[in-house]
Order: sequence, then structure tokens, then C-alpha cells
Amino acid sequence: MQGTLTHLIACHECDLLIERVANQPDQDVICPRCHARLYYTTLNSIERLLALSLAGLILFIPANLFPILSLRVFGQSQSEIILQSALSLYEGGLIVVALLILLFAVVVPLIQLIALFYISFTLHYRWEGRLLRQAMHSYQHLRGWGMLEIFLLGVLISIIKLKDIADLEIGLGLYSLAALIVVITLSSIFFNPHQIWHQIDLHRKQSRSHD
Amino acid sequence: MTNLKTTFRSARDNGYLLCSDCEKLHYLHQEGQHCDRCGAHLHSRIANSMSLSWACLIASMLLFLPANLLPIMTFKTFGQGEPNTIIGGVLHLLEQDMLMIGLVVLIASIVVPVLKMIALTILLCTVQFGLQTNLRQKTMMFRVVEWIGRWSMLDIFVIGILVALVQLGSIAHIEGNHGATAFAIVVLLTMFSAIAFDTRLIWDNGTSDLPADSTDHKDDS
Ligand SMILES: [Zn+2]
Ligand SMILES: [Zn+2]
Repeated sequence: MQGTLTHLIACHECDLLIERVANQPDQDVICPRCHARLYYTTLNSIERLLALSLAGLILFIPANLFPILSLRVFGQSQSEIILQSALSLYEGGLIVVALLILLFAVVVPLIQLIALFYISFTLHYRWEGRLLRQAMHSYQHLRGWGMLEIFLLGVLISIIKLKDIADLEIGLGLYSLAALIVVITLSSIFFNPHQIWHQIDLHRKQSRSHD
Repeated sequence: MTNLKTTFRSARDNGYLLCSDCEKLHYLHQEGQHCDRCGAHLHSRIANSMSLSWACLIASMLLFLPANLLPIMTFKTFGQGEPNTIIGGVLHLLEQDMLMIGLVVLIASIVVPVLKMIALTILLCTVQFGLQTNLRQKTMMFRVVEWIGRWSMLDIFVIGILVALVQLGSIAHIEGNHGATAFAIVVLLTMFSAIAFDTRLIWDNGTSDLPADSTDHKDDS
């Protein structure tokens, strides 16, 4: 097969070498051998990511500060914020489990939102962006490790388990958490790694020509 | 669909290498250097993919036993209460006619991890013994398994929520037990095993020939 490196593309899942073709915005390019999606176009990807990551960072605060659930039995009450889960398990001696919950439900989503905000802000406003590569690597490598949607399902199951035993009250934290999950899911849909790496390439060339 | 031109040979056989982080194409002789676009280490296949993936998978299988035999949490009301295992918790839910969530917990905690271990074993054996059947289905299976495996953390989150919520002294009290640690590590290990596994290895064994259905698949989707 002839061609320069920019004319060729390899499938990331089966390593098939393919000639790159121009695609329409609504057209995904699919690997003919393993059917993986090779590349595609996302319209206004950066602008959407900027808005979503900003919304996510804002929602992150009430989702973590306000109680998700409150429980009342015989006049005693107890509320739960996400961090409380990790803390209670830690106090109970389940340090590994506490750490994993802290990572998957708090730390990873936060780092991903910060990285996404940094990437989209820098590319949109054409800032210098010294940490663009690191931000992209952290976002891409953390994909799949943020588990807020699973945490939310856990909350629903806990509600069903406890509803016969005690009075439960849904807190503001739960609504914020649900909104946060929507925002994070949308941002992962609009995150188009091919396109963003290409834009980072252009961005770097531009800032170099300014020097 | 666009008509893609390919020789049905891998990038590596043609002397190229794909950056695993930014998917920029490089020449194979650049292996070991850093990608000029994203700075990642260039390698045409994940280093030690098979041994790492096998190691994590076998470790997770061994730990799956204590994860299911040890209690994961204890629910005490007025000082009374027995420690519960994962299966015990599911049975308890079924007894109380909570069929739906009993099934959800059963699927997330038992069915998904077991299926994931079986799927990873099939994939690893495919590469290990150079099997050449149903490669596309196996790649598809890997995608499904990789996506669905994380949902096994469900029970761990439920324990975390209940432990934080039900802390009412002698009236009602829930505490976590070490079966939960074992189970969390099982899930973690299966996720590491899937990450270490390089799907390109499935296609490396003698698939340089054209797949039989390659021509009709160019027009669909
Ligand atoms: Zn492919
Ligand atoms: Zn790269």
C-alpha cells in the first residue's frame, strides 16, 4: 500500500491498515475488518465540551455538599453525602473499599471534569496550554473509571432496601448528582479524541509560528 | 458507507505503528520512542499484554471464592443480626419479594463477573493458541465485557451507602465486612485484565487473508 503517513490510518482495535478517506459530518468511518469506529466528526465539539465541563464543575459542588439521602428512625436522623460513604467504611476498617469509592465516585469524575474544562477552554480561547497533553492523557486514561451512574443505581437500591424500615428523604444532593451524571455522559459523547488531538496539533503549530 | 481501501494486512506487517494514545500513525522503527504529537511511549502492541492479562484474570478468579464465601456486611437491629454474604443478601431480597432489585444485584455481583472471567479466558485462549474463528464476534464480546464489567461495583456502592446511612447506635446499625474488600479487588483485577489485553493480538494470527464477507460489508451501515 502506497501513501504518506497522513493518508493512512490504522484501526486501534485490530491494527488493520486503511487509506484515510474524507467523511461527511454525519458519517462514521468503520473498520471493515472488526467494525470498530475509526473516526467521525463531532460538530462544535470544543464549545459543547466547554459548556458541559463548566456545568459539571458547578454541579459537582452541590452533588458533594448536600445530602443524597436522609434517614429518620425514632426521632434519630442520619444523612449521607458521597464522601460519608468512604469515611464510614474507612472508620469500619474497610480501607481498600473506602479508597475505591473515594476514587471512583469523587476523585476520578473531578479530575476528568477539570481536564475537560482545561482542554476545551485552552483550545476555544487559544491560550498557550502547556498542560494540554497531560490533560488529554489523564482524561483518556480515566475513561471508564468514573462510576457516578453506578453509585446512583446503588442509591436507588438502598432506597428500596430501606423504605420499609425507615423514613427516607431524598436530598438536594441526589438531584444534583443525577444532573451531574447527565452532563458527564453528554460530555463523553461529544469528546472526540481524534478531532481534539488534531486540533491540539494545529494549536501548537499556530503558537509556534507566533514566536 | 465510504469505500475503504485496505490490503487486509495489519499496520505492523506494513511497517507502521499506531500511537495508542492519540492514534497518530508512525513508522515501525520508531517503536520505543515518544510520539511527537502526544508524547506517549510508542509500541505496536501493549508490552507483556498476555502475561499481565492472564495474571490479573487468574488472581481475580482465586479471589472470587473468598469474595463469595466471606460476609460482605452485617445488619444489626437492637443488637441482633447476622453477617451476610453476597448470595445471602440476594436470597434475602428475594424472600422479601423484592424480585427486581434481587435480580439486579444478582446480575451485577455474580453473573457479570463470572461472564467477564469466562469471556476474558476465551479471548486469552484465542491469542494463546492462535484460534482463528469468530474473530469479529470475539472483538465485539470484548467491547461488551469491558463496558459492562464496571457495573459489578454496584454492591460495593450499596454497602458504602448503607454503612454511611444506617448508623443509629443500638437501634439499627450496618457495618461492612472483609468479603467486600475481596469483592472490590476482584472487580478491580478483571478491569486491569481487560485493560492489559490487546485486542489487536486476536487479529495477528494468520488473518492477513481477506475475510470472506469483506466485500459485502463495505456497503452496509
Ligand atoms: Zn479494526
Ligand atoms: Zn500519540
